[in-house]
Amino acid sequence: MLRYTAIRLGYAMPLLFGVIVVIFCVLQLVPGDPVQAIVGEFPVPPAFRAAIEARYHLSDPLWLRLYHYVATLLHGDLGFSFHLQQSVLSAIMERAPRTLLLAITGYAVGILAGILVGIHAAITNHRAVDRAWTCAVLVGYAMPSFWVGQLLVIVFAMHLGWLPTQGMGPLISRANGFAWFAERAPYLIMPVTTYAIYEGTRVARLIKASVTDTLNQGYIVTARQKGLTRAEIIRGHVIRNSILPVVTALGYSFGTAMGGAVLIETVFSWPGVGLLMIDAIRMRDNQVIVGVVLFVAVCVILMNLIVDLLYFWLDPRIRLAR
Amino acid sequence: MLHPMLPLRVLLSTLRGVARTQSGRVGLVIVLLMVTLATAAPWVAPNGPLDLAGAALQSPSRIHPMGTDNVGHDLLSVVLYGGRASLAIGFFAALIAFLIGGTIGALAGYLRGPVELVLMRIAELFQTLPVVIVVLFIVAVLGASFWLLIGAVALAIWPLEARIVYGQFVTMSDRPFVTAARAADLSTAHIVLREILPNALPPVIVQVALDASLAILISAGLGFLGLSDPSVPSWGELLNRGQTYLDSAWWMSVFPGVAICIAVLGLNLLADGLNEAGNPRALATTARLQA
Repeated sequence: MLRYTAIRLGYAMPLLFGVIVVIFCVLQLVPGDPVQAIVGEFPVPPAFRAAIEARYHLSDPLWLRLYHYVATLLHGDLGFSFHLQQSVLSAIMERAPRTLLLAITGYAVGILAGILVGIHAAITNHRAVDRAWTCAVLVGYAMPSFWVGQLLVIVFAMHLGWLPTQGMGPLISRANGFAWFAERAPYLIMPVTTYAIYEGTRVARLIKASVTDTLNQGYIVTARQKGLTRAEIIRGHVIRNSILPVVTALGYSFGTAMGGAVLIETVFSWPGVGLLMIDAIRMRDNQVIVGVVLFVAVCVILMNLIVDLLYFWLDPRIRLAR
Repeated sequence: MLHPMLPLRVLLSTLRGVARTQSGRVGLVIVLLMVTLATAAPWVAPNGPLDLAGAALQSPSRIHPMGTDNVGHDLLSVVLYGGRASLAIGFFAALIAFLIGGTIGALAGYLRGPVELVLMRIAELFQTLPVVIVVLFIVAVLGASFWLLIGAVALAIWPLEARIVYGQFVTMSDRPFVTAARAADLSTAHIVLREILPNALPPVIVQVALDASLAILISAGLGFLGLSDPSVPSWGELLNRGQTYLDSAWWMSVFPGVAICIAVLGLNLLADGLNEAGNPRALATTARLQA
């Protein structure tokens, strides 16, 4: 297990390195002053400019600059945001829990709902039920996530007035633990639903195909001939075997969920990392933009690592094939 | 030499195959309708996209079936004209992604060895970052223009295409007809372009249709964030303005969103149809299951 983890970590590190190289290359394409390319379009005071030039070794040749850029970022030094008057890392860390709260809750609800819907659509004997689910999933798939959010706001906040439209509740609060969560729950409902619809339709599609495939396998026929009931077959044989492709897709789809955070946080003014990025784009605060891109990359890489380990635990074939 | 009519005949037979499947039929109709409406916008739309058609924020009525926006444009006209940008981005981004991804996937799958290792690692690297984040980053740093957005979307989605082409080339390379072509001493270009590519194409085309729908969704997202080319009316840009008026003018958000939905749905159905038409075995399996 430990060895397996180490090997997987060995795969993950070069990816992070590669992401930074790509970022560096794109920044090279920005026309004009390299200091401005790193900082964004601010009037930079001379002292600050000298610090940036020294930090990233801007007078060195290209490959040395690349080396220093990668080294600085890998050390966790993401720079100082001029606009926020705060170091980029602390700005991101301050907002990261809010984004993770939203993304993980929405992701979990969406995956659970998607699995249930997908299995139900695959095993139902009613053609009408299957059709209804298929249509719902197709339409859900085609709706842009932020637009779903807008529709929810129009219906549930504007017309019915049941839920708050935006924000995440009082910023300063004495409540903690469960009371803290209860205070924020109404603010979470719509963004989480938006996430869940987006994620759920994708998972449902995958699961349905996978379960249909599993039902055709020889061992299902064997189980049926053994005299197991339908419920027993589905619980004991179908679900576990059909879930593997979803697990494979988890890492990538978590990345999509983090990307979706930018859009969904904008709809609901949820003060997370996504909104930070949008603010940074408006303010042309490039260091913060790079910081958020890296943050998302780290999240995706970590998630992929977790998925690999999950796989190890779920699929005995991998454990034995070591 | 390639017969000049051959590509046309292949296209026609593919379309006939797609039209034979249920989802393909619906998808084809939707996509053709959307393309026609967007192309014919100057003749179909009641007003120009920048004409002031009346008071701002009028709710839908007989004169303005979708109402008017916050400036006073007829929303139906803006949605029709906006379709041009969104569909063009979908088409060109998918095309460029197909060219980049196809070339890289084919090279990796045909040459194998170190080329394969390097190219597929690069594809994996690009897949680490979510598509939206890649596009956002490029547009944020380099500025928002129509063609840059297309390039950024293509750069973000080419790995999807590369993976499929790569997989196809790896399987095809071992098939007897390729071995025969090699034994006949045909040139590499001939083997790749005339022998493998036509046989590898069906699932690749499916992915191109899916890429186009993804590109439309991403460009809508960028427009919603206010990062699309401000001089080109688009569905995403309408949703961006609609966000301010969610409380007073629901039509500003609802109709452009419906347009995006229909376009993406149409392309997805078309992809399903292409998939079934190019893979009759899949059709047989579903038929068996339903029986």
